[in-house]
Amino acid sequence: MTAKDIIKVTLNLVIVYLVGGIILSLVYAKTSPIIFKNNEEAKKKALQQLMPEADSIKIAGEWSPHGKHAEYFVAKKGGETIGYVVQSFGKGYSSYIDTLVSVNRDFKVQKIDILHHAETPGLGDEIQLPYFKDQFAGKDLDHLKVVKTETPGYIQAISGATISSRAVTEDAVKNGVKFLMEKREEGPLEEMAPEKGSEEKGGNEDVANKHS
Amino acid sequence: MSQTNTVSYKELIFNGIVKENTIFKLALSLCPSIAVTNNLKNGVLMGVAVLFVQVMVNLTISALRSVIHPKVRLPIFMLVISGWVTVTDMLMAAGFPEVYKQMGLYIQLIVAFASILARAEMFASKNKVGPSMADGIGMGIGFLFALTVISFFRELLGKGSLWGFPIVNTKPLLIMILPAGGFFAVGILMGFFNWIDTRYMKKGAHASH
Repeated sequence: MTAKDIIKVTLNLVIVYLVGGIILSLVYAKTSPIIFKNNEEAKKKALQQLMPEADSIKIAGEWSPHGKHAEYFVAKKGGETIGYVVQSFGKGYSSYIDTLVSVNRDFKVQKIDILHHAETPGLGDEIQLPYFKDQFAGKDLDHLKVVKTETPGYIQAISGATISSRAVTEDAVKNGVKFLMEKREEGPLEEMAPEKGSEEKGGNEDVANKHS
Repeated sequence: MSQTNTVSYKELIFNGIVKENTIFKLALSLCPSIAVTNNLKNGVLMGVAVLFVQVMVNLTISALRSVIHPKVRLPIFMLVISGWVTVTDMLMAAGFPEVYKQMGLYIQLIVAFASILARAEMFASKNKVGPSMADGIGMGIGFLFALTVISFFRELLGKGSLWGFPIVNTKPLLIMILPAGGFFAVGILMGFFNWIDTRYMKKGAHASH
């Protein structure tokens, strides 16, 4: 390799990588705010669908089921608390199932939504189908139980996907509701104050860790 | 294949779709094609993403071919490929969030597609921009076609639905949507297309097999 070659090779790599980097950063600068907005909107939409009657759903704190970051929310209508929404995780067959659960003031489940999962396609992924999710409406803590035979009042397992059904019902949803109830016993669940947030938030997190 | 001055664009595109179909003839990029094809929608979307990246990569490499030093061509090809994949990834996340939710994982996989690097090395780096684009379109459409056929059969047999809409109310052959079924589908279809090839298209020289 002659000196000329070395210079040419160096220039080649430097220029191509520099130009590539500049193009990527330009595209990133243009798209990242849109991506962020999309994600926020998707989350807001999911929350609204879980509590259609609420006119404001505000974050109330954070907790960590299975060591993962999750949030819980207070839903209000005309200034009055009508229920809560909690994000929770369940350990499924091949993934942690990221779930949103909404409950009314008596801690009866209203609706659930599966935000993210990687269960077996064709079997476990039926947890996101309406026929499974709709079973949760009106269930309280004692009725969040998976049964394999048709027993009214409980959650019927998806055939071929008992582990995924259990993970949603007895892990994600049940622990989420339990957590909310324990939180409620300690005091009224209120939305996080924006200013004093840091102090309160720290306190909340400690409690959440103890429970998880 | 190599001397393009005598080959028309039409032939180049045809070559990518039939004679050198990435999956059924060259047996390249099988891993991602099995991973994403358990339903029709994913298969088609993945095919479209690959088509776009393949064409853009071929165009870029071919336009730069006179300034790329042969000793460092591979790192430069890789940068061009990963650059276009990242751009596609970000544009899709911004423009089609619903689609991206399902496809996000797979798009980044395109960086490692052997088929794209192979076309850059074998074709685009040796040919003019026009033919390289034709080659990219042909290869991309060939890949899209293959993924569509595979995922069509896998979703229909495994889930009894197409594009998410139920066709029959049972799951006739559940194994088809599991990873093992992917191998069955690819193998059987590959055999089928090669059978057609040997039976009805004997005349053309196809050196690749």
